[in-house]
Amino acid sequence: MAEAEPRNVVEKFFTSVANVLVTPTVWVREKIVEPNQQSYPWYHQKFRRVPTIDECYTDDVVCQFEAEAQYKRDRLVDSNILSILRARFEDCTLYEAPDHLEKCKPLWEQYEDASTNWFIKYGDLGGYHNVKSAYMKQKHRMIWERRHGPVGSGKKDTE
Amino acid sequence: MILSKLRPLLTKNTTALGLWRPMSEHRVFPMEPSRWQWNKFKDLFHFYALVGIIPLSLLTLYANVFIGPATLQEIPEGYTPKYWEYYKSPITRFIARYMLADPQQDYEKYLAYIFMENEKKQLRQLEKKIKDKMAERLDYQAYYYRPVMAKYHRISREAFDYLESIRGD
Repeated sequence: MAEAEPRNVVEKFFTSVANVLVTPTVWVREKIVEPNQQSYPWYHQKFRRVPTIDECYTDDVVCQFEAEAQYKRDRLVDSNILSILRARFEDCTLYEAPDHLEKCKPLWEQYEDASTNWFIKYGDLGGYHNVKSAYMKQKHRMIWERRHGPVGSGKKDTE
Repeated sequence: MILSKLRPLLTKNTTALGLWRPMSEHRVFPMEPSRWQWNKFKDLFHFYALVGIIPLSLLTLYANVFIGPATLQEIPEGYTPKYWEYYKSPITRFIARYMLADPQQDYEKYLAYIFMENEKKQLRQLEKKIKDKMAERLDYQAYYYRPVMAKYHRISREAFDYLESIRGD
């Protein structure tokens, strides 16, 4: 957001008090620092997709290790996506303050869906789990769903 | 000159303490409070300022003013960035480039290591299974085979035959 121009005398006074510190800093940066800085790039690393754990043979440790590394990266990405959605909702709430309940509802729905999916995939596995336990969690959930219907619809009696 | 001052010292108090021999000048240790804490403070201040604060702040100023942080850009087509070009600060780039190893190299070395160890593990597992089966069945002339030397059996049979022949009934 650009610095707004002071609208009245009070704001002008406080802006000029702040400028006692701001103006020398800006001057140093624009006249001394920026001309001398070199311009060169840095990049975000792109990782190739490797076979996931369900495509690895049981005695192929190399495939399993790479699947585990990829799982850890994907988990980090998903956690950060969830953080961004949560921050979006919280910023909306702060900004819209009195009528945040209606205005921020779509963002809330989006965040709740995303966090439900995150917990389905990564939740309740403990602090030190590996990709095999996550895979087994999916397997157990699918077996449970096969026996009892979708999760959340109650357990059927064994007939 | 000194000796003339000292001689009266020698001869003056002989009645009280026998022959009194101080044998030094009249200098006393100055009695004053300890300056140890102040001196230690100066030592530590000089150490941390001259070896820590000043070189590190000069380094930081140089890195930030004359080199500056990198700008984030898309990876150009057909170009694989070097492993140190994934960091923003010039100091981190320097450390990654000259002091640390390429993470991809470490990753691939580790993959090779666990592959080899897994091969060894499978061989050892197979050997253990075979040994267990041989122990269970005792049917193979390898482990659990107790060899017999026929030479000693022949010698003892010869001895038995000779003894029987001389024993009579």
